[in-house]
Amino acid sequence: MGMTIVYVLVSLVVCISYFLAVDHFLMDSQGLDFWYLFRK
Amino acid sequence: MGRVAGKKLFSIMALCAMVGLLLLPIAVSLPSLAMGADAPDAVKKDGEAKVEKGRDVYYKTEGIVVGAPAPKTVDGPRDYPRYNFESRVLLWFANQQHLYYGSFVLAVPIFCMVIEFMGVVTKDKAMAKRYDQLAYDFIKISLTAYSLTAILGGILIFTFLTLYPAFFGYLSGIFRPVMHIYALMFVAESGTLYIYYYGWDKMREGFLKWIHLSMSVILNVIGTLLMFLANSWIGFMMSPAGVDEQGRYLGNIWHVIHTALWNPLNVHRILGNMAFGGGVVAAYAAYKFLASKTDEDRAHYDWMGYIAMALGVAFLIPLPFAGYWLMREVYAYRQQMGITLMGGLLAWLFIIQATMIGILFLSTNYYLWQALGRMRGAEKYQRYIKYLVFVLCCGYLVFITPHTIVMTPAELKAMGGQQHPVLGNYGVMSAKNGGINVIITTTILSFVWYMRGNKVSTVSWSKFGNIFMGVFFGCAYVNIIWLAIYGYYIPANVRVGLSVPQVATTLSCLFFMFALNTAMMKGAKQMGAIEWGKISVRSQYALIMLATAFTWMMGLMGYIRSSVRLFWHVNEIMRDNSPWAYTHTVGFAANMISFNVLFFWVSILFVFWLGSLGMKKAPVEAKAGVPGGAPQPAGGH
Repeated sequence: MGMTIVYVLVSLVVCISYFLAVDHFLMDSQGLDFWYLFRK
Repeated sequence: MGRVAGKKLFSIMALCAMVGLLLLPIAVSLPSLAMGADAPDAVKKDGEAKVEKGRDVYYKTEGIVVGAPAPKTVDGPRDYPRYNFESRVLLWFANQQHLYYGSFVLAVPIFCMVIEFMGVVTKDKAMAKRYDQLAYDFIKISLTAYSLTAILGGILIFTFLTLYPAFFGYLSGIFRPVMHIYALMFVAESGTLYIYYYGWDKMREGFLKWIHLSMSVILNVIGTLLMFLANSWIGFMMSPAGVDEQGRYLGNIWHVIHTALWNPLNVHRILGNMAFGGGVVAAYAAYKFLASKTDEDRAHYDWMGYIAMALGVAFLIPLPFAGYWLMREVYAYRQQMGITLMGGLLAWLFIIQATMIGILFLSTNYYLWQALGRMRGAEKYQRYIKYLVFVLCCGYLVFITPHTIVMTPAELKAMGGQQHPVLGNYGVMSAKNGGINVIITTTILSFVWYMRGNKVSTVSWSKFGNIFMGVFFGCAYVNIIWLAIYGYYIPANVRVGLSVPQVATTLSCLFFMFALNTAMMKGAKQMGAIEWGKISVRSQYALIMLATAFTWMMGLMGYIRSSVRLFWHVNEIMRDNSPWAYTHTVGFAANMISFNVLFFWVSILFVFWLGSLGMKKAPVEAKAGVPGGAPQPAGGH
């Protein structure tokens, strides 16, 4: 059970980081700001 | 030994002949291409004063005018001779049938190449033989269809010449430097196809097999180039280039071919043809499965249907993204054209298109869930299917929601406006992008489940792998939906960019999760063999549904693409002055598309029947059934 939680947490960190990076850099490559709403 | 060497020599000569045929049009075209450059010189000889320059409508470069202006047609027997029937509808029918068959015969050899290659590289000899038989079955189907494609091409040209002589004369004048290349490519395609087909048995072993495989590569290169050339005509009609504003050719054939929409059209058509070809072959296999009398035949056609469906869907998944690119380029070329397509006159056709795309993915998923039934050990996934159905339905309903609804004044008043207060929110691209990406991601998930249906991973990190895969898919869904919702809160110029990370999220699932699953299933424990042929009859109807939906959608999209020119033969260059230069009603277009689909399927059934006659006459190899094993070929060559 302990290892399962570790695996889930590691997976969550990797996946969330990956998808945020995808969102940020692909918007940036189009000259757009992904964080537009949060900066306003 | 001498005989084998002779065979090798003959094969190499045949291959060289095909390469020669491939290069022949280029060699022949050199003087023609040069002629475009020579022509102005000839004009120059008569004096500099006669040299007239024009400005390219798209590239904005200056060039010497070498062509006549686009004819200004008038409604009459000279420009628009006619029978006692709407000429446009006749042309529509001829064009659509040629396109259906053309797409089919271009796609199937690509499948053959892939399957034959799989057969050559696989180490399992029995499996290699099955792949080889399957590739042969595929090419046999396309061979009869090939003759029909050529006949329909001839009918199309005669229809153009008879009903639209002025327009056809202008178009063939513009493309004159490459018209004969197209014809020669067609000769090269035919020659290569016949050598490839009739040389199958003679070249089935060792080095000769590689030569045979190389022939399929050449065959597909020729076929693809043919399609690119044909695409340049429709690209020119939609987004002309290489001519001045009067439509006069400026001597640069590359500009005429390489129009603003040529590349997106090429990519979209390759993917579309492949998906369509896969669908038709899958339907053929389903038809044969339903008609099979023995378990062996059922096993073979079940397997054939699965392979064709998998290949077709592999190209269906990136198809919406290619379509998105095409639409983006249409908007970039002429914003008004994009608005006409997606927000104006033709917008309702896109709702029908969305419905068809949804049906395609729902049918694919349904087939895969049914296919899980022929695997021992796949029962564990059955209880989760209802959740996938729910997710798919949600994505589908959002995807097909129209922005505005056609209503009576009373209904409009009752609803308080053109948009429904709740559902109207889903009728925007932000939501629709989310909807289709959810549908595609779910299809990828169904495929992953199918791939691991009867297997249990034995790698040491399988627990982490499974958890990571689950979390990855979960986060992908969250990201797609989050981006769809986020789009409502930011300005349109920022929102439009969100589709790129949405697509990247879906493609990440496709590539990373397929790779991860393959790594996890290496050396996996099998719970039981795949019992080919032991699949529900319903699944085969799903394959037929898939193929029919492909056919209908191809007809629809062709109509949309063509209609966006409105009253122009060549957009903004040559006006259509025939009495039929108006846009048909949605109902008429739908009926016409349905008629085309029906005609195609009736005629292709005839082709299948002709193929089956050949199969009965061929000597049938002795079949050794393997209980629970992979299928045996249904018949010899």
